[in-house]
Amino acid sequence: MTNYEKLKNLLVDVFLLEPSEFRPDLTRNEIDSWDSLGVVSMAVGIEETFGHHLTPEEATGVKSVQDIMNILRARGVVFDD
Amino acid sequence: MVILNERDILADISTLDRAWVQPQTFVLLPDKCVLSQTQVQAALAELPAELQTRHFLLLTSGSTGNPKLIVASRERAESLVQVLHQLQDSDCVKQTVLALPLTYCYAFINQWLWSRFHQRRLEMDADLSRPDRFKEALRRADHAMLCLVGVQVPLIERYLEQEIFPGVIRVHFAGGRFPQEKLNDIQRIFPRAQIFNNYGCAEAMPRLTLRRAEDSQHPGNIGKPLPGILLDLNSSGELVFKSPYGAVGYIDAEGFHRITPADWVATGDLAERREDGSWQILGRANEVFKRYGEKIALPILMQTVAACWNGVAGFYRETDANGENGHVLMLAPEPLPEQVRSILRAFRVHHPRAHWPLRIESVPALPLLPNGKIDRLALPQLRHKTIHWHQRV
Repeated sequence: MTNYEKLKNLLVDVFLLEPSEFRPDLTRNEIDSWDSLGVVSMAVGIEETFGHHLTPEEATGVKSVQDIMNILRARGVVFDD
Repeated sequence: MVILNERDILADISTLDRAWVQPQTFVLLPDKCVLSQTQVQAALAELPAELQTRHFLLLTSGSTGNPKLIVASRERAESLVQVLHQLQDSDCVKQTVLALPLTYCYAFINQWLWSRFHQRRLEMDADLSRPDRFKEALRRADHAMLCLVGVQVPLIERYLEQEIFPGVIRVHFAGGRFPQEKLNDIQRIFPRAQIFNNYGCAEAMPRLTLRRAEDSQHPGNIGKPLPGILLDLNSSGELVFKSPYGAVGYIDAEGFHRITPADWVATGDLAERREDGSWQILGRANEVFKRYGEKIALPILMQTVAACWNGVAGFYRETDANGENGHVLMLAPEPLPEQVRSILRAFRVHHPRAHWPLRIESVPALPLLPNGKIDRLALPQLRHKTIHWHQRV
């Protein structure tokens, strides 16, 4: 499974998305279930899945799927594999 | 004092008939009794002298974890049977098929005492633990009344498959949430039956309200109080009652407690009065709680689950990693991945995240109390459960 697929599965699971809803440019404003508790759940999930801890500022500052990918890329996670 | 055991009663129902007409007060205990014989005898020694004749005692309830012996008047019970007979339009009913333990006050009053008082046949040779015999009893049924609890509906659907039973003309539900979303299925299985939602509790011995199924679309609607019964809310929003048919007292670990006509007795349910005079149950007082400032009502969440899940479901309480109150959804039997997604989709559509369960788990079958209700206290300790989804908080 690629890192992109891992991220997709995680966010589908955390925000209860339909798999067809998911796309890299999906923003927080488009997801009604992306609330403060969802941010905590997402941060825990990212740590479980990728082994990288998001600071509270990073987690709450994320505005889109692309933002998450950028944070993880900066920590060495490759998404174009 | 006469102590009767369910096993003996089932072997020879005339034992119960004799006990009813003899002056001595009797106690009827379930087969698997949480109290020892010594505990029962010690409890009965607490009974005031005037209650040692013309009364009977039933045991309740495993669901709160605090068993009590409810002390009831035979005269009051017979009065209630007459009221129910009239309100339920039961004159045309010739027999009643037992699907619950007779030690459960709902079955004891609605079925055994009703059949005795009105000289109707009590079919007690079948129950849901013996599905083939139960099905046979329903095939033989002739103008029959069936008394069920909502959690039995998935079992009935599974056991009875596509068969229909026109010989059943009354189906009663009590003992918890009314299975409103299954109404079409119930009507298909029992096409000639009038269906009722009964509401009450052991202290009411046992009925407080009644509604015909079609009179409301809401599973929490319990209808209007029976004649002579007063309902109100206490300062906590809990439904309380005064009933001329209710228990006269109870015995718990602290001894005998008398219930006087002046007492408002708590039901343990939160409720609200509707404009039309009917009442709506909002949930058990211990099934409504705050999570991250949001008021969580488990019965409302159960409606969401029931709309998209055909199996059995129950919630149990748990705190999350932050120490906040939460709840876990337990399903049986094991759902398919698409069924889990369907439940999760429904949570996302209808409820904010604070209302979502901490986890969705399943086991092959949920543990039941003798009265057919889900044994919620046993849910957290179940082994061999499968976790299908978790919230990561």
